[in-house]
Amino acid sequence: MTQNLVTDTDGRLIIDVRGPRFGAAITSTVLGVALIVQGPVGVGLVAWQWLAFAIATFAGLAWSPYGRLFRWVKRRFDLGPPPATEPEGPPRFAQLCGFIVASVALVLFAVGATTAGWIAVGVVLTLSLLLALTGICIGCELYLVGQRLASRRGGDA
Amino acid sequence: MDPILLRALLVVGLVAAVLIVGWLLKRRDGAVREVDQDARLHDDHLAAVGLDLTDAKAGAVLLGSPTCTPCDTVKDVLGQLEEEREGFRWVYADAGEHLRLAEEHRVMRVPTLFMVAPDGRILARTSGVPRHDELRRVLDDDQGAAA
Repeated sequence: MTQNLVTDTDGRLIIDVRGPRFGAAITSTVLGVALIVQGPVGVGLVAWQWLAFAIATFAGLAWSPYGRLFRWVKRRFDLGPPPATEPEGPPRFAQLCGFIVASVALVLFAVGATTAGWIAVGVVLTLSLLLALTGICIGCELYLVGQRLASRRGGDA
Repeated sequence: MDPILLRALLVVGLVAAVLIVGWLLKRRDGAVREVDQDARLHDDHLAAVGLDLTDAKAGAVLLGSPTCTPCDTVKDVLGQLEEEREGFRWVYADAGEHLRLAEEHRVMRVPTLFMVAPDGRILARTSGVPRHDELRRVLDDDQGAAA
């Protein structure tokens, strides 16, 4: 499965910038449908999305189910070379943000706070819609803020 | 009203809201912002990022980060400006390594670009990928004022 994957000189995975946006479109569809139907089917869809976030966050974007689907679509429909590439760090961090909020939603469902749970799902849906429709990745921007805080804590000013 | 229909309308409304917010954010992205006349990059900041403006006509400081993809596009734009303009110098600096500069000038995101006069006065700043012709206009305006 590591075929066609590219890494930079430090061994970090380099990805096609269209990949995260494609993934965000699927995430938005899954969570949008979940929010509309709700009930056990809706919660099941949120659980599936939680799993997809978890795989992308902890195993890396190379293993992300939506990333694999994107690579298949790219080959099948011959989408051509990437218009640009980027390191996987920021989008992977964005998947972590999605994972955390989706976890909160599932915990809220489990304790019976259904409305609060759907609000959390709405937050993830809003951010993934923003990426899918406009290409703006809030999670990626937060990654930069986090890096800055981390380097400040390291005493470098 | 049927709750499913109501929630579907809610999702449609959310899509519309996201499109509007995205459009507003995109419009600001890369736009040249004029700054306060007295705003300047202090000599110690210029020294820290390694921009020497002795005998230069204008300069630029690009703040980025190792994972910033649009930064490469801005570097290309600055490279072109450097080629076509004599006396224009620019440097790239990691925002994380120049936190004092970033904080003093409220740099919230990368890439942020400062266009500066030889005396360190900030001519303009941009966040995101600026348009080549807008940067050219900033330099022309400054050189027109100086002449």
